[in-house]
Amino acid sequence: MSRSSSNTLKAVRPSLQSSKNLLTSKPTVFVGMSGGVDSSVSALLLVQQGYGVTGVYMKNWSKDLPGMKCPWAEDLADAKRVAVKLGINFEVWDFEEEYRKRVVDYMIEEFKKGNTPNPDIMCNQEIKFKLFYEKAMERGADFIATGHYARVGKNNETGALSKEQLPGRSSQVPMSGRIHQAQFSPTLLRAVDENKDQTYFLYRISDEALEHTIFPIGEMTKPEVKKLAEKHGLHNAYKKESMGVCFVGEVGMKDFLKEYIDIKPGEIREVESGHVLGYHEGAVFYTIGQRHGLYLDGEKGVINDGMPYYVVKKDIKNNIVYVSKNLNDDSLWVDELKLKDVIIRGMGLKHPLDNILVRLRHRAPLVPADFDGKTIHFNNKVKRPASGQSAVIYDGETCLGGGIIA
Amino acid sequence: MIYLDHAAATPVSKKVLEAMTPYFTDDFFNPSAAYLPAKKVAHDYGEAKGIIAHAIGAKASDLIITAGATEANNLAFTAIKQGGHVLYLETEHDSVRRVAENCSGEAVKVLDNGLIDLANLKAKISDETQLISISLANNELGTIQPLAEVAQIIREIKIDRMKRGVKTQLLLHSDASQALNLLDINVARLGIDLLTLNAAKVYGPKGVGALYVSHDVRLKPLTVGGGQENGLRSGTENVPGVIGFAKAIEIAKEHLNGNRKKYANWRRILLSELQGYELINKKHTLDNFIVLCYNGIDAERLVFLLEEKDICVATGAACAASKGVRSHVLKAIGLSDEQIAGSLRITLGETNTEEQIHEAARIINQVVHDEKERIGGYE
Repeated sequence: MSRSSSNTLKAVRPSLQSSKNLLTSKPTVFVGMSGGVDSSVSALLLVQQGYGVTGVYMKNWSKDLPGMKCPWAEDLADAKRVAVKLGINFEVWDFEEEYRKRVVDYMIEEFKKGNTPNPDIMCNQEIKFKLFYEKAMERGADFIATGHYARVGKNNETGALSKEQLPGRSSQVPMSGRIHQAQFSPTLLRAVDENKDQTYFLYRISDEALEHTIFPIGEMTKPEVKKLAEKHGLHNAYKKESMGVCFVGEVGMKDFLKEYIDIKPGEIREVESGHVLGYHEGAVFYTIGQRHGLYLDGEKGVINDGMPYYVVKKDIKNNIVYVSKNLNDDSLWVDELKLKDVIIRGMGLKHPLDNILVRLRHRAPLVPADFDGKTIHFNNKVKRPASGQSAVIYDGETCLGGGIIA
Repeated sequence: MIYLDHAAATPVSKKVLEAMTPYFTDDFFNPSAAYLPAKKVAHDYGEAKGIIAHAIGAKASDLIITAGATEANNLAFTAIKQGGHVLYLETEHDSVRRVAENCSGEAVKVLDNGLIDLANLKAKISDETQLISISLANNELGTIQPLAEVAQIIREIKIDRMKRGVKTQLLLHSDASQALNLLDINVARLGIDLLTLNAAKVYGPKGVGALYVSHDVRLKPLTVGGGQENGLRSGTENVPGVIGFAKAIEIAKEHLNGNRKKYANWRRILLSELQGYELINKKHTLDNFIVLCYNGIDAERLVFLLEEKDICVATGAACAASKGVRSHVLKAIGLSDEQIAGSLRITLGETNTEEQIHEAARIINQVVHDEKERIGGYE
């Protein structure tokens, strides 16, 4: 253990006497609580496993948008209600300024360039597993925890904690052969619940944070989590699950972006014919593969044959959105993808990485490919993802890292 | 359940609901329609308005029915003419504060006991001041403001203005939402020009309110259309709502003195049986309001712990109900952040029994004790 529990306590409450330390000499965990069922059950499990738990609501965004009230105060109350029920301390940590700078501004800038960034990935990298982690450590935490569906693999030889030291820590998960020799750092493993696995959003978090992270529900399935929540009367067992980008909520990304990016009308053209089929409010608001929200009213008969049009190309410079009905259109399919800002998890891993699995969207199927350090070569063609999205690389159940699609 | 938050909402009483029901199903006609059954509905509506008006010493024609107190407060501020100066008490409800701020209103200070600082009021009234808004009883503390004294000050200023040939109007508006069932209100005696009423706080339906408007006050409509409510609030009349409001007021007036005695007695019981608190609203308060502070305790945690034990109370602490902002009222009376964080508001009402009051005191004591132990365990 990198810090002893008594040090931990001193860091939290410097004035305390040693007699008190005996009472509470258990590992300290700060768990991020959003008010949702996953983080609520995570906190519950940590309490049951004997950790000294403090619940933290990360206040990242509170601004209302036109026609949409930001539900942060209700979420906070839900989280606090659960914390009170579990009898644990609860705090609100305000990251609004940093979230705005590191996640929202980044996202808006990327959209302006014509990319489709993933703010959840950025939020995990910059806020939850950086600022939250750092502040928790400053406060004397042994670990942080979140309600993500993911697991951490550890080696006993690496200096990580053994099961005896760590109440309830998930059982050791066998490493894949590729990593085993070179393993000095924790590994990020896919969740047991394949449907809910959230490693796609976590591939960029630091090894240091991961080493001090517990994913209490990583070994559970969503139905099990819900059942446990109900059993313990956590009222939000029935709460609607938040989807996608948390702060955009039900407003939708386009409406959110319109608050920050001016509308700039332009043409929607059919890629094959070049015909103008309609008009849009700015090419930056559209994403490759998108088929909703295209207001096409061009030549009759061309459009109304019941087949949907997809966005296949964006010309940001000339503000033109190209669409096609042809799902086999060449621009929709690729056999390789260039990545930027590549992160390879675990020290000692060398390129190229052959016979890997790639995930191009949260919950999308894993597809076989090779990776030369810059470009992914797919065994079979894949539907082209939007630039700015992430490609995440796996070996078996281990997340090896990934990069942002250039 | 022991419900101790009657300042937030009251249940519609059985008698009120019974009075309203026929107007949803049988007597559903549009009061403006030409045929006799509609005329009867129009007549009943007028009678009901008369009952509500009578309860505050006014006539039916003085009342504008609105969809609740917030709308009535907003409508009251339309009395301000171009460039007029507005004063409001700093402890007012947001439905007054927000609209007053939109009119560049200036806040009048309260003293530490929650009462208006009359010297501050006098100092802030200028020749441009057109409207002064002071609630009859505060919604967080129950503090009853000395409106008659305020009205007297206003009278003197008006006389002085007349002497000097200053023609600017000077009106007194009061939000009486919290006080309607616990105080004897007479607009003429109080010297009030505009008075906001609310059915939802007196065991009537939600979404029904009224603004009393003195005959010499000119308002501008917020909603235009068919010209109902003297042209000040267009839209087909909410007949069942107003019938219910009238019934609720009738019952409230009938039991006013009995209820006041009952609540004052329960208040004494609670204050003697509860332990380890500091009483915030010591004087000049509605009989059913008890505002306490448990120092060093997070009252929002108490709210959740009490909810587990089937007891509903409110807090002035920064919480979800207040969008994470601590009470401006408790701040105004000089409470520290820690006191505000530990504040509980208990408001008694018709759903309670004396037995419940004893039970509530016992449970609150227990919960506070357990929470103190928990905090001690962390230390």
